[in-house]
Amino acid sequence: MTPFQLSLMEFSVAGTAAVLTSGTALFYLRRITLDRPAIGTFNGRDIRVLFVFIVFLPLLYALLPHWALTCFLSITFASALSIGLRPLLGPAALWLTVGTLIGASIWLSRTMLGTVWGWQLSWLEGDLLVTLAAVAIANLYVQGGMKLKHVSWFALTLGVYDVLFTTVLPVNSHLAEEFLGWPLDPSFGMRFGLYNATIGIGDLLVYALFLIAAFKAYGRLAGRVAMGLIVVFGVGAVAAAPLVLDNFITARTDVAIPAQTLFGPAAFVAYLWMRRRYGRERTMQEFLASADVVRPRQAAPAPAPVPALEPLPAPSPA
Amino acid sequence: MLETGIRQFRMAMGMVWGRKLDTANLARLVEDALATLAEFGEPGSDVQAVLDGPLADPESRTEFANRSLRRTARRLQAQSSFYSRRFAAAGIAADKLDVEALRRIPVTVKRDLVERQAEFLCADSNRYLATRTTGTTGRPVEIWVSRYELELLAGLGALAGVLRDENRASDIVQVNVSSRATLSVHLNAAVCRLVGSGCRVLGIVPPDEALDSLTEGGVTLLATVPSYLAELVVAARRRGLGPADFRLRRIDGGGEVLSTSLAAAARETFGVSQVNDVFAMTEVMPVTGRNCGGGHLHHDINMGLVELLDLDTGEPAAPGALATVVITPYFPYRECMPVLRYDTRDVVRCLPDGPLDCEAAGIPATSPILGKADHILRVGPTQVVTPRDLVEAVEALPSQPWPARFHTRLADGRVRLSLPESAVDGLGEAGAREHFAMRGLDVDLNLVADADAASLRTLRSDLHETTFVAAPALIGE
Repeated sequence: MTPFQLSLMEFSVAGTAAVLTSGTALFYLRRITLDRPAIGTFNGRDIRVLFVFIVFLPLLYALLPHWALTCFLSITFASALSIGLRPLLGPAALWLTVGTLIGASIWLSRTMLGTVWGWQLSWLEGDLLVTLAAVAIANLYVQGGMKLKHVSWFALTLGVYDVLFTTVLPVNSHLAEEFLGWPLDPSFGMRFGLYNATIGIGDLLVYALFLIAAFKAYGRLAGRVAMGLIVVFGVGAVAAAPLVLDNFITARTDVAIPAQTLFGPAAFVAYLWMRRRYGRERTMQEFLASADVVRPRQAAPAPAPVPALEPLPAPSPA
Repeated sequence: MLETGIRQFRMAMGMVWGRKLDTANLARLVEDALATLAEFGEPGSDVQAVLDGPLADPESRTEFANRSLRRTARRLQAQSSFYSRRFAAAGIAADKLDVEALRRIPVTVKRDLVERQAEFLCADSNRYLATRTTGTTGRPVEIWVSRYELELLAGLGALAGVLRDENRASDIVQVNVSSRATLSVHLNAAVCRLVGSGCRVLGIVPPDEALDSLTEGGVTLLATVPSYLAELVVAARRRGLGPADFRLRRIDGGGEVLSTSLAAAARETFGVSQVNDVFAMTEVMPVTGRNCGGGHLHHDINMGLVELLDLDTGEPAAPGALATVVITPYFPYRECMPVLRYDTRDVVRCLPDGPLDCEAAGIPATSPILGKADHILRVGPTQVVTPRDLVEAVEALPSQPWPARFHTRLADGRVRLSLPESAVDGLGEAGAREHFAMRGLDVDLNLVADADAASLRTLRSDLHETTFVAAPALIGE
C-alpha cells in the first residue's frame, strides 16, 4: 500500500470509530440516566487521579503476563459494560450479554486469526466491545459531573503524555504491537489484507467525553463544533500525519501517531472559545431540565372524568 | 467523584472497625455533598441508605447493635471509672455484651451525672467544652465534650442537613436558644460554617428583637424552643405580622412539648410549611429523634441503642404501653463523657406491633415525647395524664394562652389544674372544664391571677437575656 492508501485506511477506521463511539455516547446521554452515588461529583482532583492511573496502566499492561492481562481486561470490560447496560437490561440478560461479548473475544482471538476474514470478524467483535465500553465510561464520567473544563484539560495533558510515550518512551506503540491478536485488545480496528488500522480505546474515550461534555455544557451548536474537531483533529490530522512526518514509524515499520497531541490542544482552545462565547457550563441538573434531553414518550392521557351531575355535598363545618 | 468515594470508604471503614472518625474527612464530605447538590440539584438515589443506614431488617439491626455495644463497652470499661465499676458489679465482660445482657446493667440516671460527674470522664480524652442543661427540670447537669466530639457532631449534622435539604448554603439560621446552652449554640454555628450558611445567635432576647431580626435579616431557618416560639407567635400577631413579612422556610423546635395548636399557629403566622419537633438531649447526643408525617417519633439507631422500658417494671415495654426512653450512644460518636443506658425519663407510648406506613417506615418509631416521667399523673389504675395531654389541651383554648402556663396536682384522684385567669377568657370556668372534658381530661380548675402565671410552670423561655436595644436613652446622651 502507498502511504496515502494507508492514511486513507486509518482515516476510514479511526473516523468510523470516533464518530460511532462519540455519536452513540451522545445518543445514550440524551436518553438514559445512569445511577449515581448519593454523594459525589467529578472535580479537578479526580482528573489528576485519572491521569495518574492512565500513566501507570500501560506500564502495568507491559509488565503483566498475557494470562493475567486477559483476566484484568475481562474485569475492566465487564465492569464498564455492566455500568452501561444496567439501565437497559435485566440482571440475567445483562450478564449473559457481557459474558458472551468477553467470551467471544477470547474465543475468536484464539481460533479465528488464521485468515483475513477471521481477523476481520475478531476485530468487529472487539470493536463492538470497545465502543460499548467507551460509551459507558464516557457517560459515567459526564453524567457523574465531569465538565468540559475537566475534559479539555485532560485532553491537553494527555497530548503531552501521548507524544512522550510514543516518541521518547515508546510504551504506547509497543503495547499496540503487543496487544495485536490477543483477546480483549482495547483498540478499535480492522484488517485489510496484511495491514491493521487501529485507534486506542483511550482516544475514543476522550473524543466521546469531549463531545458529550460540550453538548451537556452548551447544547447542540457546541456539540456540532466538538464533533467537527474530533473529525478534523482527532481523525483527519492523525491519519494525515504520516504523510508529512516520519517521526512515528517504529522499528517494525508500524506507524504510531500520538492522537491526543494533535487533538488535545485543539480541544482546549475550543473549550476556551466556548467558555468565552457561552459563559458558565450548564450543570447536570440544568441539562436534564433542558430540551436537549430526549424524554420517553408519555402515555396518552386518560379520558377526563365525566362531571358529576348532582352537586357535591358541602363540607361539614369543622 | 473518585475522591468522594475514597472519603466515604474511609468513613465507612471507621464506622465498621469502631475507630474514631477523621473529622477533616467528614468536613470534606460535606463539601462534596454541597458540590453534588450544586451539580445535580439532589443527592444520588441511594441517599436514604446513607442517611438512615441499611438497618431496615430487624436481624441486621440486632447484629449491628450487639457489635456497637461491645465496642462501646470495651472502651467504657477501660476508660470510665463509673462504668468500669458497673460492669464489674454486674459480672459482665464487655467483649460478651449484647442487647440481652445489657439489661443486667442498671440504667444511668441524671443524679449519677450530677453527683459523680468526674467518674464519667474518660481517661483517654481531653475536655474542650462544658455545657450545662438549663435546669428547667431540676438541678443542672454539666456535660463535657472533646474537640473531636464537637467537630464530629457538627460534621454529621451538616452532612445529614445538606443531604436532606434541610440546610442550604443560602440559608441564614437564627438561633433563639439560651446562650448558655453552649453545645447547642456551638453546634448550630459549626454546622453553618460547614454548610456555608449564615448563623445569627441571638439567645432568648425580648421577642420583638428576635422578630425584627426575622423580618429584616433574611433569616430562612429558625432554631428555638417551643415556649419561646410561642412568645414569638404572640408578639408577631400583636404586631400584625404575617407570612409576607418573613422569609422563613422551616422552624426547628425541641427541648419542650410542642403542641399541635402552637405548631399550626407558627406555620400560619410565619408562613412555613414545616415546624419540626426534634428530640435531642445533650447527655445522649448525637442520638436524636425525628418526627415524620405520620406523627411518629423515629429514633436514630445508627449512632446509639434506644431502649423503651416500661415505666413500672423497667423491662422492655409492650406495644401500646408507656415507656421511658433509655439511650446508649455508641463509640466513636461520644468520647469525653459518654453514658451507657441513660434514662432520659422522657416518656413515649410504644406503637402497636405491625408495619408503619409513613415515609420513615424502616426506622423504629414511637409516639412523640409525652413529657417527663416524673410529671405524669396517674388518675386511675390504667389511666394517666401526660404533660403533652395538658399542654395540648391548654394551648388549644380559644384564648390562645401561649406558652401554656399551668400547674397540676392530684387531689382525691382528680387532676387539679391551676391556670391563669386570662387563659379561660371567652369560655368561663364551666366552658373551660367542658373544653378539657372534650379532650378526655376530667379536671378541677383553679384560676390564679395572671401576675402569678410564670410561677405555675417553668419554661425555657423564662431564661430571658437582657439587651440594651429596648432600654430608654439616657438623659444627656
